[in-house]
Amino acid sequence: MMGQKLKPLEEILGYLKDKQKVVLMGCGGCATLFRTGGEAEVDEMAEKLSKAGKEVLARIKLPLDVYACLLPLSSKYLRKNIDAIRNCDAFIALYCGDGVQVTRSFLEELGIFKPIYPAVDSLGFFGGGPTRFTEECQGCGECILAYTGGICPLTRCPKGLLNGPCGGVRSNGRCEVNPDMDCVWVKIYERLEKLGETNSFKNLLEAKDWSKMKRPRVIEVPRTKLTL
Amino acid sequence: MKTNSNLERILENGKFAVTAEIGPPKNADPEVIRRKARIMKGCIDAFNVTDGQTAVVRMASWAACLIGREEGIDPIVQMTCRDRNRIALQMDILGIAALGINNVLCLTGDYVTMGNHPSAKPVYDLDSIQLIKIIKGMRDDKRFQNGEKIDVEPRLYIGAVSNPFGGYPLWVDVIRLEKKVEAGADFIQTQCVFNLEKFEEWMKLVRQKKLHERIHILAGVTPLKSYRMAKYMSENVPGIEIPERILNRMSNVPKEQASEEGINICVEIIEKLKETEGVHGIHIMAIGWEEVVPELVKRAKLLPRPTF
Repeated sequence: MMGQKLKPLEEILGYLKDKQKVVLMGCGGCATLFRTGGEAEVDEMAEKLSKAGKEVLARIKLPLDVYACLLPLSSKYLRKNIDAIRNCDAFIALYCGDGVQVTRSFLEELGIFKPIYPAVDSLGFFGGGPTRFTEECQGCGECILAYTGGICPLTRCPKGLLNGPCGGVRSNGRCEVNPDMDCVWVKIYERLEKLGETNSFKNLLEAKDWSKMKRPRVIEVPRTKLTL
Repeated sequence: MKTNSNLERILENGKFAVTAEIGPPKNADPEVIRRKARIMKGCIDAFNVTDGQTAVVRMASWAACLIGREEGIDPIVQMTCRDRNRIALQMDILGIAALGINNVLCLTGDYVTMGNHPSAKPVYDLDSIQLIKIIKGMRDDKRFQNGEKIDVEPRLYIGAVSNPFGGYPLWVDVIRLEKKVEAGADFIQTQCVFNLEKFEEWMKLVRQKKLHERIHILAGVTPLKSYRMAKYMSENVPGIEIPERILNRMSNVPKEQASEEGINICVEIIEKLKETEGVHGIHIMAIGWEEVVPELVKRAKLLPRPTF
């Protein structure tokens, strides 16, 4: 899921300095789980903006499981509110930067050019839940979990070290950079020990092929039947 | 001999080596380096200059190394993976070799948030083990990391570091050491030894794997200047572990005698290290107290330094 945090209200009001009529839209996916753009948060934001003197033309709330970034699902909600969108001065998206841009390009295709502002800061992949989410993967394009006991040091070690811990591990096994966190390499070693795979410690993982992470990446998938 | 390194010559001839660290200034004053190098001349076989230690902006290691070399000592350029990707690191390797530097020490590097530019983008394109392997490949196979051929290869004596006092089982660090040996490191400088018992345990594992026969180990030592410094280091510097016994010795002497006691402790540690099988030298990290190096080396009976 795309981790995210709501921006401070002052920042959002800053975008709207010269704008009066706004449309708000949430997301039934990650933004609902991270409590940034679920149905309740869309209402909360609408109240706050009204209080600040803005006119809210529409509150587009997406039900659970309807992702703003997934156009086959979200486009009908945009179409349903298209008049409000045409009439607004600004569109506020309470979901990730990915969704914001999907919405932007969809509206552009309909010939609608409106300022679209993010109400959240996106933080990248997160997993877990329901109340605690952690960062476990960064989409590097070359998964090494097979060699590291199913724990990603690229993501979990602040230095992204692939061949064991740095010299900074604290005497209690905590991370040099973040003393509240266990050194991920200690965790990896412990797990490999339990798996009886300690020999794989000795493998030297070569310098990573970062070209697999060269942005922007595009994925094409075959058009087979899928029930959404 | 793989290189023209004085350190390599000392170690390959079976002599007990002495290296010392010089901290570069946070300004463009070359005199700081010259003065420190002059003090150490004749007492050490090579000097390291740190590469932005604790992620603080200081004079570049290679530049300070060149300045120090003018005083007639063999420099060891420290290179961390924090600030440069593999392109920049390999360019610097070619550059320092072309300038006649003979030694390089490969480190991961303290994280940016520890330093004075905490919002900098950390690089870590490589880790220290990958860096060692790449430099070895450049020197011995005449190949860049991408496999391309190098006409005139950089002839560098390759160093790495080890921390026998990390917060993981000892054998984890020994495996890291083994990986560094496999990757092509020629010598190791360890984190400061205060806890001799734990260091001996680590050395035992090193000897079991016969790593001491494949790589030269220089044990790190640090003279304590005051009780306050000892306590601060012990509590705040990751990888530094000072036993209660030593802290007590530092606190039990009057303030004005503390630095003398610090030297005594350091000399005693060096004496023990000299007798430890597999330890081929010491690396003095005097951290802002470089003028103590000649006295330490003299009292540890490591003078005169061998010449060839």
